[in-house]
Amino acid sequence: MSLLQVKGLGKVYNTKLGMRQCVALKNVSFEVIEGEFVAIMGASGSGKTTLLNILASLDKPTTGDVLLDGTSFAAIPDRELSEFRRKHLGFVFQDFNLLDTFTLKDNILLPLVLMQTPLKEMENRVFPIARQLGISQLLNKYPYEVSGGEKQRAAIARAVITDPRILLADEPTGALDSKSSASLLNQFADLHAIGKTILMVTHSAMAASYASRVLFISDGVLFSQLYRGEDANKAFFDRIVANLSILGGGDIA
Amino acid sequence: MRRLFYFRLALSNVRRSKITYLPYLVATAVMSGVFLLIAGLLFSKGMTNTPNGGTAQALFAFGLVVFALFTVLFMLYINNFLIKRRKKEFGLYGILGLDKRHVGRVLVWENLFVIGGGVVCGIVIALVFGRLLFLLLMKLIHVVPGSSFVISFNAYALMLGLFLLVFLITTISNVIRVHTANPIALLSSEKRGEKDKKALVPLAVLGALLLGGAYYYAWTTEIPGIALGIFFPLAIVVILATFLLFLCGSIVVLKLLRMKKSLYYQPDHFVTISGMFHRMRQNARGLATICILSTMLVVTVSGTLSLYLGREEMTRGMYPFDAQVYVPESATEQQIINYDAVLNRLAAQNNVTLRADRSKLITKLPEGEEFRRNNFVWDESVFVDVPTLIFYDGSFRFDVSGTEEDCLVFIQAIRDHYSESFSETPNLIASDIFTTRVQGYGFYGGLLFLGAFFAVLFLAVAVLILYFKQVTEGYEDKERFNILQQVGMDDEQVKRTINSQVLWVFFLPLAATALHMLFASKIIAQMLRSFMLYDWGLVSLCIGGTLLAFTLLYFGIYRTTARTYYRIVRR
Repeated sequence: MSLLQVKGLGKVYNTKLGMRQCVALKNVSFEVIEGEFVAIMGASGSGKTTLLNILASLDKPTTGDVLLDGTSFAAIPDRELSEFRRKHLGFVFQDFNLLDTFTLKDNILLPLVLMQTPLKEMENRVFPIARQLGISQLLNKYPYEVSGGEKQRAAIARAVITDPRILLADEPTGALDSKSSASLLNQFADLHAIGKTILMVTHSAMAASYASRVLFISDGVLFSQLYRGEDANKAFFDRIVANLSILGGGDIA
Repeated sequence: MRRLFYFRLALSNVRRSKITYLPYLVATAVMSGVFLLIAGLLFSKGMTNTPNGGTAQALFAFGLVVFALFTVLFMLYINNFLIKRRKKEFGLYGILGLDKRHVGRVLVWENLFVIGGGVVCGIVIALVFGRLLFLLLMKLIHVVPGSSFVISFNAYALMLGLFLLVFLITTISNVIRVHTANPIALLSSEKRGEKDKKALVPLAVLGALLLGGAYYYAWTTEIPGIALGIFFPLAIVVILATFLLFLCGSIVVLKLLRMKKSLYYQPDHFVTISGMFHRMRQNARGLATICILSTMLVVTVSGTLSLYLGREEMTRGMYPFDAQVYVPESATEQQIINYDAVLNRLAAQNNVTLRADRSKLITKLPEGEEFRRNNFVWDESVFVDVPTLIFYDGSFRFDVSGTEEDCLVFIQAIRDHYSESFSETPNLIASDIFTTRVQGYGFYGGLLFLGAFFAVLFLAVAVLILYFKQVTEGYEDKERFNILQQVGMDDEQVKRTINSQVLWVFFLPLAATALHMLFASKIIAQMLRSFMLYDWGLVSLCIGGTLLAFTLLYFGIYRTTARTYYRIVRR
C-alpha cells in the first residue's frame, strides 16, 4: 500500500510583472511505499525544492494533487493545514531552522509543546531520541553553541519526535562538511532501518546513495528512477553517477 | 589619492546602505536637536531672571545631565546594532584583501559623515522646530515667558562637545571590534546569541534593594527642605536600580519561569517566555531608558502643572491678607490710627472696599497643626487698636475687594500718597497679593511651558527608541516566526504570541513608570511645599492625570509603531 501518492503535479510561477510564466513542475507522478527511503535528485533549478514544498503542504500545486494515507492535501482546509503538518509530517531543512531563542532540547520539544503533550510524555520521548542521535550531552546548549552537524541532528530529532508518517528532508547535508554528512546520512539509514519513511531532496550523489530508490528530476519533469536492489552503497553510488552523466547534471560529492 | 579612496569608499558605503544608516542619521539629528534645545533653555537669560528661577534651573540642569548620559548610551546602542549587521561586510573586505587598518579608516570616515550630517540636521531641527514649538506652546498656555527664543553659544558648544564624545567612543569601539576579530568570525557573527552576564542574581538583588531603599526614603521623608535635597540623589539611585532590574532582574525572573516546567511547556508560554528571554537580553537597556524617560516626563509635567494649577493657593498662602502696608518705625500711635482713615479714603476713591477679619489672627497654634504663614499667633505687644483695619507687627493688614484692576491701582495709590502721611519712607511700603498674582502667573505659566517643552522633547526621543526597537525586532522575529510556522504553529498561535510579546515589551516600561510615580508622588508633594504648595490632593490629581494622559499617548505610539512591526513580521 503506498503511503504517499503524487498525481500529475504541475506548478507554474508567474514572474513579478506577470509577463512571463515559469514552469517549475510538469506532470510529476510517483508513489512512496511505507518504509521506503526515497531520494529525489536534480540540478539547481530542476524543480526539486518546489516539489518538496508542495509535498510539505507549504506550497500549493497549480495542477494535480498529493495524497497522504489516501487523504488529499487539496481537501484539507487552510486552517487545519498547520495541524496536519504538525501531526503527519516531519521536516529537516538545509539550514537547520533551529530557533536561537531555545536550547536544543526545547527546539526538539517544540512540536510536542504545540500539540500540548503532557510534560512526562515529552521527557520520555526526548531522551531516547537524543541518545540515538548522539546529542544527549548537548541538550541544554543553544544552537549557536554547537556545530553544524550537531544542529542538523537536533533538527532531525525535532522532525521525528512527533513520530510523523513521513520525514521530508531538503538538502540535509547541504551545509555540512563531508564527515558530518556521512554521519548524518548514517542516521537517516538507521531511521530507515527501523521502518521510517523518508523522502530526501538532494543534489549530492553521495547522499542519494544511502536511499533505497532515487528519482531523477530535470527541468520540472520526472526523468528516470533507480532502485538500489541488493547493491551496497558503493555500487549504488556508481550507478547513480552513471545515470547523472546521462542527465548531465548533479554533483558527485 | 589614497586617502581620497577611503573617503570615496566610505561615502558610497553610506549612500548604499541607506536603510541602515538613515535611522542612525535620524537618531543623531533628533538627539542632537533635542539636546541643543534643552541646553538652550537652560542657558537662556529668561530663566535665570525669574524669581525661584534658581530651583527650576537646578531641575532642568539635572534633566540635561541625565539626558546627556542617555544620548551617549542611546547612540552607542544604535551604533552597536548597526555594526552587528555590517560585520559580514567587514569580513568580506578582509577576505578581499583590505587591511584591517584600511577598514578602520573607512569606518572613521563613515562615522564622521553620519554623525556630522546628523548634527547639522539637528541644529536645523532645533532652530526651526524649536521656534515653532515655542510659538505654539506660548499660544496654548497664554503666558508670555518674557523671553524670545535664542540658543546661546554655550548650548552649541556643549552639544558639539557631547557629540564629539559620541563620535570618538563609537569610532574607537568600531575600530577595536574590527581589529580584534578575524574575517571568518566576522562573516558568521551576525546571528550570534548573547552570553549571560556573570553575577546576574547579585546584581538583580542589588537593584531590588536599591529600588526598595529609594522608595522607602521617598515615601517617608516629611521635611520639605530635606526632600529637595535628597530628590536628586534618590533619582540617580532609582535610575541605577531601574537599569539593574531591567538588565538582570528580568533575566532572573524569566529563568525562574523557565525552570517551572508545568508553566513553561505550554504552547503560548513556551514561545513567549523564550522570546522574552532573548529580547530582554538584547533590549533591556532600551526598555529601561524608555522607563526613565517616561518617569522624567511625568515628574516634570505633573510638577509644573501642579504649580500652575496651585498658583492661587500658593499666592494665597503667602498673603493671609490681600495687602499689607508698612509704616515707618518712627510713626507714632496717633499717626497709625490716622492712617487707617487715609487707607479707607484711598479705597473709596478707587472703587474698592477694605475688610479686616480679626478671626484670621489666632491665639494659639492648634495641637498637631503645622505652622503656616497664614496662622498668626496673637502677641499683644505688637498690636495697635485701629478703627477699621488690623494693625499688627508694624503693618496694616486687610483684604481688598473690587476688580483686579482697581485693586492694583489702589495699591499704587497707597505708594503715591504715602509721603503725605509719613515723613519717612521704608524700603517696602506695601506688599500685596495682586501684584504677586500677576508676577506668579507669569512665572508658573513659564514653568508649565518649560515642562510641556520638555515633555515634547522626551516624547520625541521615546518614539524614536520605540520605533527602533520595533524595526530591529521585526527583522529578527520574522525569521523566527517563519520557522515556527514551518514546524506547525498555526497562524492564530503566531498572532497570539506576537501580541503577547509586543505587549509585554511595551507595557513593562509603562508599569515601571507608574510604580516609580506612585512612590515619587509623596516626595514631589513635599518638594512642592517649598514652593508654598500644600495641596496634596491637587498634586496627586496632577500626577494621576499626567500619568493617565501619558498612558493614552504611549498607547497611541504603541499602536502606530506596532503596525510597523507587524508589517515586517507578517510579510
